[in-house]
Amino acid sequence: MAGRFTHGRMLTLVAALGLCCCAPSGLAADDKRALHQSSADRLFTLRVLPLLKAKCFACHGGDAKKVRGGLNLLTRADMLKGGDSGEATLVAGKPEQSALYRAVTWGDPDLEMPPKENDRLSKAEVEIIRKWIAAGAPWPNEAARKRIQEAEWSVIENEDGRIVTTSGGTSQEWTYRRYEPADLWAFEPVQPKAKLLPQHVKPGDAIDYFVNRRLVDRQVKPAGQASPRVLLRRAALDLTGLPPTPQEIQQFEAAWSRDAEKAWAELVDRLLASPRYGERWARHWLDVTRYADTGGMSNDFERSNMWRYRDYVIRAFNQDKPYKRFIVEQLAGDELADLSVLERVDGNWKAVHKAQLDGDYNEQEAEWIVATGFLRLGPWDNAMVKKEEARQIYLDDLVNITGQTFLAQTLRCCKCHDHKFDPIPTRDYYRIYAAFATTHMAERPVPFTSSESQERFDTGRAHLQRMLDFAVAEKNKLVEKREAAALAWFKAHNLLYKNQQQRRNLPDEQKPPRHVGLNHIEQGQLKVREQDEWIWRRRLERYEPMAQSVYNAPSFSLAWNGARKLRIRRNAKPQPVPQQHILSGGALTARGDVVQPGVLSGIGLPVNAAADDPFLVTPAVAGRRLALAEWIADDGNSLTTRAIVNRIWQYHFGVGIAANANNFGAKGGKPTHPALLDYLATDFVENGWRIKRMHRLIMMSDAYRRRSAPADAALVNRIDPNNQLLSYYRSRRLSAEELRDGVLAITGELVHADGGVPVMPEINMEVALQPRMIQFSLAPAYQPSRTPHERNRRTIYAYHVRGQADPFTELFNQPNPNESCELRESASVTPQVFTLLNSETMTDRSIALALRLQRESKTLPEQVDRAFQLVLGRGATTSERKRLTTYVGDMQAYHSRVKPTPTVYPTKITRSLVEEFSGRPFEYEEILPIFEKYQADNKPTDVSPRTRALADLCLLLFNTNEFMYVQ
Amino acid sequence: MSIDHSRRRALFGLGASLGSVAFSSMLRAEDRAARAPLTPKPPMHRARAKNVIMLFMEGGPGHMDTFDPKPALTRMHKKESKLPYGLETGFKFFVGSPFGFRKVGDAGIEMCDQWKHLADPYIANELCNFRGCQAESLNHPEALFHMNTGSRLGGDPAVGAWASYGLGTVNQNLPGYVVMTELALPQGGPTNWGSGFLPPHYQGTRLRPEGSPILDLAPPAYKSRQHQRRALDELARLNADHLKSLGGKSQALQARMSSYELAFRMQAEVPGVVDLSNEKPATLDMYGVNESETGQFGRQCLMARRLVERGVRFVQIFSGGWDSHDYLERGHSARIKSVDKPMAALIRDLKQRGMLDDTLVIWTGEFGRTPDNNKRGGVYSLGRGHNNRAMTMLLAGGGVKPGIVGATDELGSSAVENVHPIRDLHVTLLHLLGLDDNKLTFFHAGRYKQLSQFGGKLIHEMIA
Repeated sequence: MAGRFTHGRMLTLVAALGLCCCAPSGLAADDKRALHQSSADRLFTLRVLPLLKAKCFACHGGDAKKVRGGLNLLTRADMLKGGDSGEATLVAGKPEQSALYRAVTWGDPDLEMPPKENDRLSKAEVEIIRKWIAAGAPWPNEAARKRIQEAEWSVIENEDGRIVTTSGGTSQEWTYRRYEPADLWAFEPVQPKAKLLPQHVKPGDAIDYFVNRRLVDRQVKPAGQASPRVLLRRAALDLTGLPPTPQEIQQFEAAWSRDAEKAWAELVDRLLASPRYGERWARHWLDVTRYADTGGMSNDFERSNMWRYRDYVIRAFNQDKPYKRFIVEQLAGDELADLSVLERVDGNWKAVHKAQLDGDYNEQEAEWIVATGFLRLGPWDNAMVKKEEARQIYLDDLVNITGQTFLAQTLRCCKCHDHKFDPIPTRDYYRIYAAFATTHMAERPVPFTSSESQERFDTGRAHLQRMLDFAVAEKNKLVEKREAAALAWFKAHNLLYKNQQQRRNLPDEQKPPRHVGLNHIEQGQLKVREQDEWIWRRRLERYEPMAQSVYNAPSFSLAWNGARKLRIRRNAKPQPVPQQHILSGGALTARGDVVQPGVLSGIGLPVNAAADDPFLVTPAVAGRRLALAEWIADDGNSLTTRAIVNRIWQYHFGVGIAANANNFGAKGGKPTHPALLDYLATDFVENGWRIKRMHRLIMMSDAYRRRSAPADAALVNRIDPNNQLLSYYRSRRLSAEELRDGVLAITGELVHADGGVPVMPEINMEVALQPRMIQFSLAPAYQPSRTPHERNRRTIYAYHVRGQADPFTELFNQPNPNESCELRESASVTPQVFTLLNSETMTDRSIALALRLQRESKTLPEQVDRAFQLVLGRGATTSERKRLTTYVGDMQAYHSRVKPTPTVYPTKITRSLVEEFSGRPFEYEEILPIFEKYQADNKPTDVSPRTRALADLCLLLFNTNEFMYVQ
Repeated sequence: MSIDHSRRRALFGLGASLGSVAFSSMLRAEDRAARAPLTPKPPMHRARAKNVIMLFMEGGPGHMDTFDPKPALTRMHKKESKLPYGLETGFKFFVGSPFGFRKVGDAGIEMCDQWKHLADPYIANELCNFRGCQAESLNHPEALFHMNTGSRLGGDPAVGAWASYGLGTVNQNLPGYVVMTELALPQGGPTNWGSGFLPPHYQGTRLRPEGSPILDLAPPAYKSRQHQRRALDELARLNADHLKSLGGKSQALQARMSSYELAFRMQAEVPGVVDLSNEKPATLDMYGVNESETGQFGRQCLMARRLVERGVRFVQIFSGGWDSHDYLERGHSARIKSVDKPMAALIRDLKQRGMLDDTLVIWTGEFGRTPDNNKRGGVYSLGRGHNNRAMTMLLAGGGVKPGIVGATDELGSSAVENVHPIRDLHVTLLHLLGLDDNKLTFFHAGRYKQLSQFGGKLIHEMIA
């Protein structure tokens, strides 16, 4: 946890102001008093008054009727007067008698001010209040305060800290406030290599130079190098998310014994070249950017083409796309495509807009547009949300996710106010907000590229078409029944029949009741079928050449249920570009200063150094995001480059060099090895922003290759319990994906694919069929893919529904996609045990492995040994082999007496729902055609007691710590 | 189990000594550490309630159709409404409540005539009706998130997670925060009871209404408890050997080992909670367990009492169907019928067992409903829209003062007296549990976060 507001600095100030000790002894008493007075005036102006403003005036300053407890602190006279309690708030010269002082010390549980833990004064701040009261609580007038203030502001750095130049806060106090230099580490330029690394150190040894330097300092001996087997498993899981096979282990150990260094370097290269690498590292990126195939909230509408973005990310990692380009494409790929088209059509914007509507793009342009899926990843639905507010929610999300993802900054704080801790004014938040203000969501026509997989399109489409046809047929039956009754009604009233649309606005007397001819059950059913029709039409768009993307336009319009279909919509007439204001407190109605689109000003990196305001980007409708993206991806952007190398480091070592990968601000963890972080950032930029190169650099270090047990555990526990010095490798639990994918790989069931539409793995059947409320209806049941070949694929390709997480991956801490996840949880909680021991999926995997063992080995002891090889990457010890052979034998005796029950797959289910309007329950039938010709995995009933007994052993091994942890 | 006796002793005797005695004693200290997140913690100040049972009426009950009568609406029934609130557009008209009202109990709680069981003075005398709460969102999931997690965005820790974080839980064999829903999950799903940025130990565990109460709680039917014990013993041995090979110490590995033993105990304990067969027939009848309208909610209310009895800190029951945009009379009368008897039984049961003083019962929706409605499909639909400016809730026990607190305007369009945002309710709820919202904080994403987001006020009027 980060420290509270720095105490040391405040104490320095008090000392500097000469209040602690008396003035020089040679002075006359009057002079002493005068000097004392001026110091106290300064203390009040520079410290006390800002504190009162920040912490007290909200409740105790202002309108006499509104102040809490009748206590106003706005003026010295008010303070002396006190509040309702009758206690003396301020007794000049006597802090202990002043309630003001006693309140801020939090000594008396009945008198703790400010009342919030978050606002509580630090010790140093309490001391300031004390000193001020002790000095007679002077309250200089405004002119005097201004003089003191201006004198202070003219000094950029003093013992109180540093003033950071920004585009300016909403108050001068904020603009000129001082920061502890240590808190500004991320805002400072990255140090050049020459300053960081002594000439005698070879670049290849840089990491160990920085790490070992600290170990030597603290006299901690690092752990030795881990065994080749451990290193292989570590590297394979880190880079590909899959455990090594027994054959790979054997080969690697042999290569290692010939030439360890060479074997290791070749291994790293081989793993980086594997297509499995991108599948593993893309998942890290999707954690940060919050990937899901649906939009969440009320309707949880499918974002049918989001899978193309997922595959784009996988390809980007596999191709080692320079990170610089990766940034620009995700933030402004559509603008790159527009510019590319513009060139083709001789600068004709109309033609560019036409290309947008026709999806007339080459492969590169298509890829760029798909990349902007990044701008569509947040949960969003405007159902029952006012148009302007829905828009604000979207834009705020973009600003916030851009800040966290690329800049490691928590910008959302600045939606309402200037940043409390970091040099980010609310103005900068709204400048970036304005940079997104012409961005609009749309599903756009974008042709498939040759690198995109269109596998399983036919079977998938046929299945969805069947679901759609069923919904439409059921709907039509009900509509026909209603309209027949309507027709009869019109006839009976001697009126001409009008269909539902035509009669909508007629007075009540001239038309039949709304649901004429339908009872409440049929009314409910009709609504369900109408929703279903939408749902299946929407899902069929998975197979269309479309992309979840954005486009630029000055203004926007939004249907009440806009999230269900977002298309490019342009006004015929040119629209004015709306002005962006600072919104005080984030309220749409509280318009402050007008702002132009721009970037963060606090790191001093200009967009255009020659401009009047160097931190602004173009105010035109198009080009704002591209300019922002290019600024983020600038070689000199210290936030960006440190953020990415820190993330890469974190995924190798479990913790970043700076512990909060999404927050490099004052409240985030400070870098444990700042010089190393800078070295890596510089090296990254100098070598073309290549991520694979960074992996090599890290993995070739000794620091990465250490054993997981400290050399001297007692010493390390005492002086470095959190392993900040990296004296040993921090072991980690398998992630949800490593667990599921790893088990499938070990059983031999894993099917590799190069992307494509989401696959539907089997998930817990109760959850799959669990009804789930959406607006007006229930979401359809989850149906797994029909064959093992289609469904047993890597977890990254699974369908990710915001409203229905796979309980297996969720339990093992796959993050909720509503918030950016900088680092996953990995706590052991009991429900994980239930899943690993009892779930159908683990039972099935254990049987699959048992069958594999029986295929590959003859005798039971050999099978036990093979199981150890496959699951744990080592043979069983003699005693293990003996003990577990006995175990399997005993279990065989057990299973020969017990008969499992067969699994039954329903082909339809009856749903019950309370009709939203009538409050009465009704039922309807839902079909599950997938299960009609379902190819199940091998079940306990399909195999012999002998296999089931062997499966018990396999399940045990999958449950061991040795399997679940990477050492 | 059909292994012969001597063989069984040989098999399980060895296992039991390893797994249950030698092994667990070896791990005792770490076992405690592993459970530390949920060990009971003292409150920050005098607690008025130890446990909470929150009955969540998903969809938003109409305050003017339950506990906050509006005779003015009856007079203006079907007359045009020009109220500018809500999202309904076009022609709007006022809707009078289809129900009559009467005052019940010492505090004169006003109840519509559909409440039969709750109106018993023995129950009604315990009730506090709070009419001053205001939501922000007009849509279900956001409003549900707001009421449950303090944030409209979803993803922050739920109230129950904060309570378990602050106080731990008494029974280590059960989760500290239990959630029950209908078969269908409420809008927003598990995000309503997530642990957000708090460690995962605090998330709500859903006791499922059908099938296995906790997902995969029991092994497949063909694996007996003894079968599992043996497996756990073998596993313990493998894990112990592995730990030794790593030098004998690792908090994470040891915690994971002990989680298997806890799981084994939970497997025995949880079915007992869910199994109502040892309750008296009179009790089952009182909760309406055997009646079709009240069966599910009744079972869940009874389960809530049993959970609280066993030391579970926070229990939440979701009951949907309150979103009456149309057919208000049918809808609300059916919903009231489904919860009236079970709720009354719960309060009566807690009171009779002397548990009500320590247990705070809350009945609430995510927002209230509008006094007016728009035409649907062109006809006068007798229902109501979503209202984020007024709602109604009931509280009982746990240090709450019976009576009516706050008021809405003549039409029920907005709270006007004792007006409080949801965060104030949260602050008050934590206060009753002996927790100070301003001090119950967790450092996340750059600041100390708290349930109320940025602090709130106590609703003194509802505290006894």
